[in-house]
Amino acid sequence: MGSSEKRSKDVMSDIPTFSGENLQKNLKVIQNSRTFLSIIAGVLAGIIGFNGLTGFVFYFVVMLITSVGLMAKAGFSADLYFDSWNRVLFDGFLGGLMSFVLFWTFAYDLVHIF
Amino acid sequence: MAEDLVLDTAIRDWVLIPLSVVMVLIGILRYFVSKLMLSSPSPDAKILKEGQVIIRARNLKAGANFIPLRSFRSRRLYFSNEENGLLHVPKGQGTNPQAQMFSDPNMAMDMMKKNLSMIIPQTLTFAWVNFFFSGFVAAKIPFPLTQRFRSMLQNGIDLSTVDVSYVSSRSWYFLNLFGLRGLFSLILGDENAIDDTQRMMQMGGLGFDASKNLGAEKDGLDMIQHDWALPRFEQRAESVLRKLVK
Repeated sequence: MGSSEKRSKDVMSDIPTFSGENLQKNLKVIQNSRTFLSIIAGVLAGIIGFNGLTGFVFYFVVMLITSVGLMAKAGFSADLYFDSWNRVLFDGFLGGLMSFVLFWTFAYDLVHIF
Repeated sequence: MAEDLVLDTAIRDWVLIPLSVVMVLIGILRYFVSKLMLSSPSPDAKILKEGQVIIRARNLKAGANFIPLRSFRSRRLYFSNEENGLLHVPKGQGTNPQAQMFSDPNMAMDMMKKNLSMIIPQTLTFAWVNFFFSGFVAAKIPFPLTQRFRSMLQNGIDLSTVDVSYVSSRSWYFLNLFGLRGLFSLILGDENAIDDTQRMMQMGGLGFDASKNLGAEKDGLDMIQHDWALPRFEQRAESVLRKLVK
């Protein structure tokens, strides 16, 4: 992600002004990180050999770690970079689920069944 | 759970991996084909004008508090004046853009092309999968499912004692279909990634019904309470300077 998160809100004035373009760029960054991490989590879960519910718990743990990482990158003040806290924390949770399941199945089969 | 089946390595080499590779390649191919076939529609002047008016009205709404009261009022009057205000559309003309959109041959062709480019690869791949890869267990899903899913996931396998986790290649195809969306959004750059399912959802609302948009903008403008922010900026400047000096 580097220095790609830009400030999208000018908090100094009473009236919050957003820079739409930066806001969208920041959201893209979140989405990309989550997708990437869900794929990696899927491969890891398959290699380790999680079964059933444990795998889903692992997925949510990884998503939480993602949220914490993103918050740390944004300096724990999500107001400067996004318009609401919920976006940073919960956006894209379920979007990565299908990719996670696919790569989980793939890795699990490759390693354990065949 | 029952004993673990041991599956032939040949299945892995010749079914799972080729199917995934083929689907990824078809996705990339579809992306490039859609880029090549993109015929730029000749923009309709009327719709373009209305779109720009809406953008101007929105800018006015966003920056309303930064201009003095009288300027704001005169601008607002320009937009929502009853006789020749830009946002006031007489009832008769309201439904035109939509009817135009349906009868305009360019639009229809574009819609059809997008539909076809989406449906044909899926259908072909599905038929190919069914023809070649049916009748055997292809993969094992790592999580347990109930018996209801058996008919959906195990369609080629005729034994009813096999665990539901062992699925046929048709379900592997569907799993790939949904799961590769994320991969495409990473590979293909940030747009055009979520092709099939999102486009299917977009087919419903055909976008631009201009009369409702204009009416909504007019109501939004009428509702604004003007609160001129500039007098407060002196205090803001003072506080900033104080912070700097400390």
